[in-house]
Amino acid sequence: MATLESLQEAVETGNRDDAVQLTQQAIDDELPARDILDAMVSAMDDIGGRFQRGEAFVPEMLLAARAMKEAMALLEPILVAAGITPEAKAIIGTVQGDLHDIGKNLVAMMWKGANFEVIDLGTNVTPDKFVDAVKENDATLVGLSALLTTTMPAMQSTVEALRAANVDQMRVIVGGAPVTQEYADQIGADAYAPDAASAVEVARRFI
Amino acid sequence: MHRMPLAQSKWLVGSFENAPCFEVSVMPNDMEELYNQRLTRYVTAMRNEKPDCIPIRPFVAEFTSKYAGYTCQQVTHDYEMAFAAARKCAADFDWDAVVGNMVYVWTGLTQSIGLKYYGVPGFDFPEDMGFNFIEPPDDEAFMRADEYDQLIEDPTGFLFNVWLPRVSNDVVAMGEPTSFRNNLSFLKGGMGMLSYFGGFGTQAQLLRSESGTVSAIAGILKAPLDILGDKLRGYLGVCDDLMKQPDKVLAACEALAPHLAHVALSGADPDKNVPVSIWMHRGCVPFISHDHFNKIYWPTLKPIIEEIWARGHQTLFYAEGNWNPHLDAFAELPDGSIIYHVDQADIFEVHEKIGHKFCLSGGVSNYLLAFGTPDEIRARCKEIIDGVAGDGGYIMDASAIVQNDAKIENMKAMTDFTREYGVY
Repeated sequence: MATLESLQEAVETGNRDDAVQLTQQAIDDELPARDILDAMVSAMDDIGGRFQRGEAFVPEMLLAARAMKEAMALLEPILVAAGITPEAKAIIGTVQGDLHDIGKNLVAMMWKGANFEVIDLGTNVTPDKFVDAVKENDATLVGLSALLTTTMPAMQSTVEALRAANVDQMRVIVGGAPVTQEYADQIGADAYAPDAASAVEVARRFI
Repeated sequence: MHRMPLAQSKWLVGSFENAPCFEVSVMPNDMEELYNQRLTRYVTAMRNEKPDCIPIRPFVAEFTSKYAGYTCQQVTHDYEMAFAAARKCAADFDWDAVVGNMVYVWTGLTQSIGLKYYGVPGFDFPEDMGFNFIEPPDDEAFMRADEYDQLIEDPTGFLFNVWLPRVSNDVVAMGEPTSFRNNLSFLKGGMGMLSYFGGFGTQAQLLRSESGTVSAIAGILKAPLDILGDKLRGYLGVCDDLMKQPDKVLAACEALAPHLAHVALSGADPDKNVPVSIWMHRGCVPFISHDHFNKIYWPTLKPIIEEIWARGHQTLFYAEGNWNPHLDAFAELPDGSIIYHVDQADIFEVHEKIGHKFCLSGGVSNYLLAFGTPDEIRARCKEIIDGVAGDGGYIMDASAIVQNDAKIENMKAMTDFTREYGVY
């Protein structure tokens, strides 16, 4: 267990080298893949919680996510072999007309940190592209990001297109600096996430 | 909003006149009188004193194109259209001051040097969306993590020799074979700079003579850490560096500071009426920690603000996002040295903490301007005026720059209500 506790700490403090080395050690020691994964996800949950309480900031969260990403590269084949699948499959992108992607990238990182499979469509994504990606990938979560009030209407048209596509079990989560819960309700999104850490909590409600 | 306006420099008037139609016209007395009345009102409020009534200075960007009947593509590609649109708004709305062109990017200039970091309306997305700043992926940042020493050693040399060829499709790196496009990019870029920046001087004069409107700001500043984040390492790169090599980040900010102070003062108002503007991005919570703010962001910005103040100029803090956790730091600045523009923060808390020292502006949410009703706008303006403007030292404005989603009737409501209710 000491290895996993150390791994959790290495991920949470963003120590990539230690995270990779401890993951390799845990694999070599034939610790259960699920436990190794859980240690990493717990680390990301902890840093996400600290972020939400104003005790940690984006740089710390970013480093933790990167440490986990490198460690996960080692663990992924083991997870596949053990039949452990991601918690959810998510599509994410910034809506049409908006090229600002920092917020979207942070959400994608935190979702990956929660063991979601994330298909990132990038920026300036048309409603049709979102619909096609959801259908092709059988995704259950869609994250829409907008930084500008001028691109918020594109968020609405994307939600409308997704609803019109009538995909079962799909939940739409919206966020971005000017977006509010009120606006999310108004355009018929399933949820609003005020920040990247909350986006994990909100998404888990739908899993 | 991730937008950074270009300097508008009064000293450019007459130096780089480009518009053949421009002559310094003899102004009608009533227009000159109106201008002086507005200038006095605006400046009095900025000094945190009580004018005759609350000045109105909306940072109108693509709203002007909507009002004048142009697309975003038109005002971004043709700065004369952008200037004309701003003047039309200034003529039709009773505003004390505006920025000559808050749609500050002229893509004629950016395209003449093949600049990579702007998304252009009509090309990268629909013609009626405002231009966007594009941040490259962190592994393709315009400065690499191991290049701090070069930047610290010679900031301008690094920008010219290393940074410029990376942000431009046309500029060839030093030591590489030159090209026709490289040579032409400097010629076209230089001509473009002269035309556009010279145009701001003309624009300020026309705003004054046509509608008695004050040109709101002169000179531009950015915090050293914001320059690193916005234009060199990218925000994610800076996050990485803050955690792994904070000493280098601090040294780079210290190296950039005198250059940024020089740029700001070069464009400052020689009459010392209107402020230098600073467009603040990544220093606020949660983008960086309190520790990084206290050790890097603020110690490398504060001396610049103090230097600008020592030379007799105020600085307008365009505090994008929410900077309320740092109000105690800002309160360290000399009384009256800044005008504090409130975006998403609680303006009443701002007023309580620093209103006795500095003039405030803003607070009318852009969301409300785009999606609300005139009644809601009037209610918000009343709330702000009652809460923060009682003793003067307040300028009516939206929270952020006003783009083409703001409803015209809402901008009218903000203007008319403030004029009526905001009389001292």
